[in-house]
Amino acid sequence: MTVVRSKVLPGDCIGEAPPGPIPANTYKIGNKLYTLKIGLAEVEEKEVKFIPLAGPYIPRINDFVIGTVIDLNAFTWDVDINSLYTAHLPSQDVFGRNFSPTSHSLSEQFKVGDMLTAKIVAYDRTRDPLLTVREPGLGKVVRGEPVVLSPSKVPRLIGKKGSMAKIIESKSKTKLIIGQNGVIIVQGPPDGIVLAIKAIHLIEEKAHVASLTNMINELLSKGV
Amino acid sequence: MIKLIDENGLRLDGRKFDELRPVRIEVGVIKNANGSAYIEHGKNKIIAAVYGPREVHPKHLLIPDRAIIRCRYHMSPFSTDERKPPQPTRREIEISLVLRRAMECVLFLEDYPRSIIDVYVEVLQSDGGSRCASITAISAALADSGISMRDLIVGCASGKADGQIILDLSDIEDKEGEGDMPVAYMPNLDKITLLQFDGIFSEYEFKKALDLAIMGNKKIYEILRKALMEKYFKTEEK
Amino acid sequence: MSFKRSSIIENLRKTQMLDLLSRQKRLDGRALDEYRPISIKLNPIQKANGSAEVSIGDTKVIAGVKVEIGEPFPDTPEQGLLVVNAEFLPLSSAMVEPGPPDEYSIEVSRVVDRGIRESQMLALKELVIEPGKLVYCVFVDIDVLNIDGNLFDAAFIAAVLSIATAKYDKKIVKEGKEETTKVSLPVRLIPVSVTSITIGDNILLDPTEEEDSVHDSRVTITFDEEGRLCAGQKGGSVGLSVEQLFKIVDLSKPKAEEIRALIKKVIGNA
Repeated sequence: MTVVRSKVLPGDCIGEAPPGPIPANTYKIGNKLYTLKIGLAEVEEKEVKFIPLAGPYIPRINDFVIGTVIDLNAFTWDVDINSLYTAHLPSQDVFGRNFSPTSHSLSEQFKVGDMLTAKIVAYDRTRDPLLTVREPGLGKVVRGEPVVLSPSKVPRLIGKKGSMAKIIESKSKTKLIIGQNGVIIVQGPPDGIVLAIKAIHLIEEKAHVASLTNMINELLSKGV
Repeated sequence: MIKLIDENGLRLDGRKFDELRPVRIEVGVIKNANGSAYIEHGKNKIIAAVYGPREVHPKHLLIPDRAIIRCRYHMSPFSTDERKPPQPTRREIEISLVLRRAMECVLFLEDYPRSIIDVYVEVLQSDGGSRCASITAISAALADSGISMRDLIVGCASGKADGQIILDLSDIEDKEGEGDMPVAYMPNLDKITLLQFDGIFSEYEFKKALDLAIMGNKKIYEILRKALMEKYFKTEEK
Repeated sequence: MSFKRSSIIENLRKTQMLDLLSRQKRLDGRALDEYRPISIKLNPIQKANGSAEVSIGDTKVIAGVKVEIGEPFPDTPEQGLLVVNAEFLPLSSAMVEPGPPDEYSIEVSRVVDRGIRESQMLALKELVIEPGKLVYCVFVDIDVLNIDGNLFDAAFIAAVLSIATAKYDKKIVKEGKEETTKVSLPVRLIPVSVTSITIGDNILLDPTEEEDSVHDSRVTITFDEEGRLCAGQKGGSVGLSVEQLFKIVDLSKPKAEEIRALIKKVIGNA
């Protein structure tokens, strides 16, 4: 089974449209499939896959994201999640049903400028995304260096079953907290952080290259 | 009366009737923008940058089921022969509108409800055909930002000088010639998204001018593809 | 290339910045008195009489000079005109809205204008054609293309280079005949501005946008070629001690010489 990979630009024809649903970031005219973004098209027999290489983060329910609190009022924190919409974290999510503005102060929990790990709990075309920090491990980020990666390249950073991220973590002795929205927190010793960030920048540049894993290994072996 | 085409059919800058001026495109030139591009088309030097999709402020302007697109075409004071004061002129406002309409044809605005896409064009040096060059630059910037688009768009003008139909008018041909026809074109879909013209064209001349503009556009399309491929698919072997 | 919407700096970054400062280091590894790499392109806009594209780190600006003939200001009938105008183009940052210049861009325009004017970089008296009626007008327009802090110095270098390398057509009388010749503007000296910010007791030269967002105060000083101070501007909402101000002058002076040497080298190679 041969896989034909091609580099495509918006408007390029990548083959025949499948009978059922078409891949994301493509559109159909007649029975032909066209791309909506710059990316890589993979055609295997009659199956067509498209991987975009640019584009904003569109929230998805259950996505793990990392954001920054940019505003707060009596009932909600507004969180910048590197997307086209501002996300909101309702106070009840943190303080529970018994929340009341007179007894609970939002800024004591999360201040403007704080970074949070959260999950998208609600989103549709008619409203801004809603977040939750209720699950274990979610909440304020207390240390580490934030890095931004194109959201479309996050899968490459994670790798098959997390393999790419594991390689970077073990070789640079850091921990990577990876948000689906392209925000990453790197934690560890200063030298390790510098090396890990170099690796992340390489992925940004060369996500489309098949031998990327080798290039990353080479970079990490070289050290700082 | 300036003679724009000599006895050998050569224009003032030495070009034949169907020759394009040199075009060079660089993608990703404004770090803060979501997408950007710089184009040199003849002596035109133009930057286009895209911010968005992003939230609409004030909120009452938002459209519930798709994105709004806003376009600002502006010429820097030093871009023209005589200094142009920085305030937007009526011509710049009209061109902003025409460019916006050209983009609306090609963007999948429904993919980004309740948001706004801002497109900014700054002409650093102008040389006839700046609105066409702007379209090519905007298209590159939009592709760079990863906003869903049906096709790339390119822009090229044709026109009439000394009774002849010519491709890609320079500044002086634009000013002294008999007709000017800027055309924006989607190459894969083979559709026109912007068309303006002034001057007097017979039906035959009109068709010839349109064909010529589309031919010019196809050539610019190849240059645009190369520039985007160059930025996105660079693989330097060590 | 992020979709960041606000100018708020993350608290994590702020803590990191302050922690590094206590060890005399900065986020990008620079020393406190170090400038980011300055890159210069001369004459990118041939239609302008003089032009320069200047980048300091990721901050990018382009300046163009147009020399035209017009009326002098009524209170200086024997002087040519100098007008400096800076625009923050909306393409330079997610935070800039299209529209007439706001107070920040006007501040940059006026600080650059004063630095050039007060240092007497141009011999404006030599730009008179007919006193009180006709003079040469030098318009310096600066486009800010990408904002990452220290717009003052980037705009200043671009403006100075554009003026120093500008060529315009001057009508002169030679052997009884009137002819047009290309001449340079009457430049007497190369002024340089140096911008710094204070964060607590620390003085940082050439702040990035991130560093700028947490500054206590900001100072721009323009020096002429004899090390004299010709213009200054303090920004920021926190007070500055006299001691700190003198320290800033001490740190800025040698930096100004370095930058002036760079500018002169670029002009010499032109």
